[in-house]
Amino acid sequence: MRPILLQGHERSLTQIKYTKDGDILFSCAKDQVICAWFSANGERLGTYHGHQGALWTVDIDPSTTLLASGAADNTVRLWDIRTGKCVKVWNFDTAVKRVDFNEDGTRLLAVTEKRMGFLGTIVVLDVIVDVEAEQSDEKALVITCDESKATVAAWSYLSRYIIAGHEDGSVSQYDGKTGELIYNSPAHEEGMQVTDLQMSSDRTYFITASKDKSAKLHSSRDLTLLKTYLSDTPLNTAAITPKKPFVILGGGQAAMDVTTTGARQGKFEARFYHKVFEDEIGRVKGHFGPLNTVAVDPLGRGYASGGEDGYVRVHAFDRGYFDFGYEVEREVGGAGAGGY
Amino acid sequence: QDRIEEDKEKGAIVEERRRVLNEWLAWREREEEELKAERRELGLPESLEDHDEADADGKTNGEGAVVE
Repeated sequence: MRPILLQGHERSLTQIKYTKDGDILFSCAKDQVICAWFSANGERLGTYHGHQGALWTVDIDPSTTLLASGAADNTVRLWDIRTGKCVKVWNFDTAVKRVDFNEDGTRLLAVTEKRMGFLGTIVVLDVIVDVEAEQSDEKALVITCDESKATVAAWSYLSRYIIAGHEDGSVSQYDGKTGELIYNSPAHEEGMQVTDLQMSSDRTYFITASKDKSAKLHSSRDLTLLKTYLSDTPLNTAAITPKKPFVILGGGQAAMDVTTTGARQGKFEARFYHKVFEDEIGRVKGHFGPLNTVAVDPLGRGYASGGEDGYVRVHAFDRGYFDFGYEVEREVGGAGAGGY
Repeated sequence: QDRIEEDKEKGAIVEERRRVLNEWLAWREREEEELKAERRELGLPESLEDHDEADADGKTNGEGAVVE
């Protein structure tokens, strides 16, 4: 898997997202800029300028019309993907750590930071998927996290629930319409922050990554714990691969001495696990610092990782990846080819 | 004697994997059915991907390939 190295950011990456067809990927970083790249050749399509603080998060509506971003400048911005023009700014009291479009792109959630005098919140914004439209200033819903602040959140299937991961290691399920808390359950070790939460393609289950060195798969419907993936390093990110039953985890010890040979040689790794059997099946080296974000092409052709080192590495899956399967998978048909 | 023990052990691992895989597949099937039913109730196409590329959900090789 020979990667394409994307050099365009001057500071650590915070999130990467692919468009629905997987052709373009967006990256954001602490350098206040969003970049758009062709995933096939790594050519930079454009940049989105306007934020006045570190960017924490981006997402793309499913029709690839609008880009949403959240930053340390306490704003959520909406961008016309084609022209790069900012079409809407929503202001908040604190930094915005995560944005996520629901499956039809009409609702956007934003996770806001907790700071003295302000509790962490999850805010829902109604979005009109049209670059010419006048977007509403109003917040359609505000969920206040008075127990433990949310660090990440995403919409479930049919926008029925908002699923959040918290600073204390728990996950919550809120009603997507009313914002009412339905369940909160411990998912990771107490006090070990949930660092990433990504949905399966049909949004019926999701993966969480945590500082407790594990990633877990849960049902969106009732938060049932389905699978656990154990690693030996604090995790910042986890993604589910379509087409093949794998998950990809990323992380690394941030405090690691950069003068050690390990760091010099780019030894920070993306770790592949079998989604169903929970075994580690492979690693991909390359970054010079912890992996902060991993995203998978929705069509299953490859993945991209973003590091503390400021690089994005885009990988196309090779033959060995697609051929890999356990004996028992061949029995159930399709040589482990199933996108289960 | 060692080989017999080894084979036994290997057999047990395979058996366990088979169980785990079948459990997962059964869960997926239930979830997919339930989601389809919920989408029907809301008057939505059965699958999110129905109007997209037919194999977008990666089922071209498995039994679940046909979505009617």
